[in-house]
Amino acid sequence: MTLWLIPALPYLGALILILAGSKLSKQMAGIIGCGSMGLSALWTGVTGIAFLSGGREPVRLQLWEWFDVAGWNPGVTLYFDSLSLVFTFVITFVGFLIHVYSTGYMARDEGFNRFFAYLNLFVGSMLMLVLADNLLLLYLGWEGVGLCSYLLIGFWYQDPANGAAARKAFIVTRIGDTAFAIGLFMLFQTLGTLNIGAILAEAGSALSGDGAASWPGGPAGATAIALLLVGGAVGKSAQIPLQTWLPDAMAGPTPVSALIHAATMVTAGVYLIARMHGIFELSPVSMQVVSLIGTITLLVAGCSALCQSDLKRVLAYSTISQIGYMFLALGLGAWSAAIFHFFTHAFFKALLFLGAGAIIESLHHEQNIFRMGGLRKELPVVFITFLIGSASLAALPLVTAGFFSKDQILWMAFAGEHGSLGLWIAASVGAFLTALYTFRMVFVTFWGETKTPVTHRPGKAMTIPLIILALFSLLAGFIEVPHNLGHITLFSSFLASVLPSPELITDSLLMEWMSQAAAALLTLGGIGLAYEYYVRNPQSLAGMKRNTGALQRFFHSGFGFDRLYDSLLIQPYTWLARVNRRDITDSLYTGLARFSIWLHRQSAQTQTGILRHYLLGAAIGALIILTISIFI
Amino acid sequence: MTSLIIVSVLAVAVLYLGLFKYKTALLPVSVTGLLAAAAMAAMDWDLEKMYFSEMMLFDNYAVAFSILLILTTLLIFGLSRNYFEKISNNVAEYYALMLFALAGGVVMVSFHNLAMLFIGIEILSISLYVLAGIRRKDPASNEASLKYFLMGAFATGFLLFGTALIYGATGSFNLAAIASSGAFESALFRAGVLLMMVGLSFKVSVAPFHTWTPDVYEGSPGLIAMFMATVVKTAGFAAFLRLFLMAFAEASAFWAITVAILCILTLFAGNITAVFQDRFKRLLAWSSVSHAGYLLLAILAVGFSASSAVLVYTIAYSLASVAAFGIMILVSRARGNDHLDSFNGLARTNPFLAFTLTLAVCSLAGIPLTAGFFGKFYVFKVALAQGYTWLVVLAVINAMIGIYYYFKVIIAMYMKENANAVAIQLNPGFRLVLSIVVFLIFLFGIFPGLIANIL
Amino acid sequence: MSHFLIVGAALFSIGLYTVFSRKNAILVLIGIEFMLNAAILNLVAFGRYDRIDNEGQVFAIFAIVLAAATVAVALAIIINVYKQYKTIDPDKIKDMKY
Repeated sequence: MTLWLIPALPYLGALILILAGSKLSKQMAGIIGCGSMGLSALWTGVTGIAFLSGGREPVRLQLWEWFDVAGWNPGVTLYFDSLSLVFTFVITFVGFLIHVYSTGYMARDEGFNRFFAYLNLFVGSMLMLVLADNLLLLYLGWEGVGLCSYLLIGFWYQDPANGAAARKAFIVTRIGDTAFAIGLFMLFQTLGTLNIGAILAEAGSALSGDGAASWPGGPAGATAIALLLVGGAVGKSAQIPLQTWLPDAMAGPTPVSALIHAATMVTAGVYLIARMHGIFELSPVSMQVVSLIGTITLLVAGCSALCQSDLKRVLAYSTISQIGYMFLALGLGAWSAAIFHFFTHAFFKALLFLGAGAIIESLHHEQNIFRMGGLRKELPVVFITFLIGSASLAALPLVTAGFFSKDQILWMAFAGEHGSLGLWIAASVGAFLTALYTFRMVFVTFWGETKTPVTHRPGKAMTIPLIILALFSLLAGFIEVPHNLGHITLFSSFLASVLPSPELITDSLLMEWMSQAAAALLTLGGIGLAYEYYVRNPQSLAGMKRNTGALQRFFHSGFGFDRLYDSLLIQPYTWLARVNRRDITDSLYTGLARFSIWLHRQSAQTQTGILRHYLLGAAIGALIILTISIFI
Repeated sequence: MTSLIIVSVLAVAVLYLGLFKYKTALLPVSVTGLLAAAAMAAMDWDLEKMYFSEMMLFDNYAVAFSILLILTTLLIFGLSRNYFEKISNNVAEYYALMLFALAGGVVMVSFHNLAMLFIGIEILSISLYVLAGIRRKDPASNEASLKYFLMGAFATGFLLFGTALIYGATGSFNLAAIASSGAFESALFRAGVLLMMVGLSFKVSVAPFHTWTPDVYEGSPGLIAMFMATVVKTAGFAAFLRLFLMAFAEASAFWAITVAILCILTLFAGNITAVFQDRFKRLLAWSSVSHAGYLLLAILAVGFSASSAVLVYTIAYSLASVAAFGIMILVSRARGNDHLDSFNGLARTNPFLAFTLTLAVCSLAGIPLTAGFFGKFYVFKVALAQGYTWLVVLAVINAMIGIYYYFKVIIAMYMKENANAVAIQLNPGFRLVLSIVVFLIFLFGIFPGLIANIL
Repeated sequence: MSHFLIVGAALFSIGLYTVFSRKNAILVLIGIEFMLNAAILNLVAFGRYDRIDNEGQVFAIFAIVLAAATVAVALAIIINVYKQYKTIDPDKIKDMKY
């Protein structure tokens, strides 16, 4: 079994680029970077086909045993089932396209080789994360992803702001990582294993028994573990309350944003919860927490996206909001719906970011959408693909992938066993917001008059990935179509062996039609509203701006979370650090050091260099040993 | 067994090569012979053969440690080209004496009779007395030799007296016979065990019998000090553990407390004294004392997991010591002394050396992803399994102190500047050996299972 | 039997005392030889009870041979030291310390 090649190839590429990076030409570095990713994607395809055509039996591949202590032997073991396959496919395939695009985007950058080394390492770590058989290895990939995101967000480190953004991303996600780590400790303490299969088996038997009561740690233990895992997922996936790092993470080169948002990093949290679904099923509370986090996040981020003027920040908030949908679905127990949304989202979000990168590049690093405009005719390929991506993000009915995945979540929010009318309404409002901010962005950027001249046009290395991703953004949805529209369940039945499907409390066809119609209407309404305000009648906007200035600023600042954390956490902390400049806890260590110095002087005295003293010391030692043994 | 014969014959052959002035052939012949010896030792795997009316037993323990000793010697030989030539005209003596010492070491890890233990120790020690003083014109070398000899012979007295008492108590020198004699309560036996412990403690520099270590390491030529720190220490501990495992394990109740006390003494003596040591060679000597303390933890936990803990530890320690002493030799040769200040700015002039030394001291300090981490990890684990929690806590405190002085050299290399430092030239032997060591430290640091499960 | 043991212990102690009290490396060496011979005496004494294969006596011969080898090496070292330091008082040979 050659499963190991999938993560090994990007790692190998990274290793070559790190070791020989300075000696390679850009062309060579690009070939190594893209080539290793391409081969990895190819190999994922081969493995995937073998998996599909075979018995779809999960594959476990033990590469080596890390160590073996007291019956605990975490191995470096890969595990490959349909869930891993979906993630691996998206990561390698989208990652490959982003790599290809980067050869064009970064072509004039001095750090080209370094960039590809980090990029490969990033993808390799993410693959390790989704292919890990035990949570320890998963955690390794998880931390690797965190490290690489730090390196890539701060890629242009000459600008201190980028360094600050990188640090922010690292520190904020670290809060989540800590929760995750504590969760792992608790899991290990409860079960004595971190093997995912074993944990899920344990959870499954508890579930089929007396529910959480028969879980070794009791219901409270299960809830605690689940919530700690949520803490980790919230950090990585930029959900409230740890979402603040993602908008700032736009400091990195645009392909990095695409990679972070589409294929890697932010989806790690979704993967974690989906992978550990057994524990969440034991704890209804944690499920509710997840769906609540998702709902709040999707609304807050949607509102924030409405008021951004930076093209990449609009997209960043839209990512937070879309991941919010995935969390909502996870909280509803609609596991495969969440993964399906991840699947379609990966394509259209990568497309949007790469398109945005192309625009920014063409306009000489202009990111403010209000200084763009009229790009429809200047950049036709980018325009059409970007439009497709936006339509998919806004869930334009029937023709886009985003529609099918979002519709599934909406329907589950209404009809799923954990669903409720409130959740459905919130999610629908979110859909409306999505359409509104997406098309606001599209109209402002591509319609109207030209404000910044186009300096140069993207090359083939950039446009081809855009076209491919656009095709996927349209077509990827048709592998899972609601039963009233054609009933295709390729995706969910594919995942059924790993993720249980939720029960529906209503299966009324009428309700489903109505839900879909409402969502479609809201989407179209949002698009229409955007058209009204930003294309047909821009003057009316000025009046609204005056009236709602404060609210807009509030939305623009992402609901003031940054300011809140600044005054609530950062300032007290820096104050404490200033006051405690001569750290009190340090005195413990300086005390220890002084004691050591004193002891050292004493013990150095024994080294007189005189043999007789040495011999005498030894003989006395022997005497003492013999004496002690008499008394035992 | 074949490997022991090869090593012994090789030593004599090398001596004759020197006699007939085939100096260029010395190194190739020695290396080939050692490779053959290691291969032959590997052939004995799982055979468990007894030799000489049960005086030697080549079980897996003996084979694993023999191979370790032979390969470490091989690494040291890899560094020795152009080294001994600078010291003396009779280069063959070095190779021959080191090979004899190695033969003694192989006997020490494969004995099944106290007589063989004694003979092995003596073969090893007598060769080393000479090697320590081989720089005949250098007062320090002479002083080292004299101190080492007098202390060593003194220890031999204890060892032999202990052996005699155990013979008196049990009526046999055979380890299995001693273990089954049931004479554990007799005072004669107990005194014998403790006297043997004292004698062995000298050889592996356990406090309070360690006092010779820094002086002897400092005075001896660098490669000989490296040999003492790696091969001799490994052989000594393997013999120590083998004796206590195969003969005295049943009586552990009464000697365990003594070992625990020695362990604490050694840890603190080694680490505390190393803290403010500013000459690197002496620092390594003190660190070698402290490592003896960690290894004693494994002796406490008699059982076969103790063997693999000691094996992992000695492998990690030997690898790191080869690198650390090797670079110490290069630096002191190029900059005149081995003071820590001589390492200033090494990262700029010789990044490879600085990296290797950093890795080596990280491994000595037990930083994860190096072999040394798992060495400590397994040793602590076996001690914990025996319930010595308080001892492990003390050992961990010592490991933290260790990090302090180990990192001093890293700080010197990376953070201090030396304006007139020039790059140190490396010969291919050094480059090869250091690369191998770097690779192995990483390999065993990431895949400890490769060595942890073989015993 | 106990006579042998007592003589052995006495010899060992005399050896120890000699090692500590003498300021001449050769006399220190002689002290060490005393200690070794105490042990060898014990070995031979205990060998009386092990009539089957006389292990004690054989071991004693081994020990004597090795002690002789040690002495040869020791004298060489001491001569060398004398050449360098013009003294063989171990107390005066203390250049390396701390």
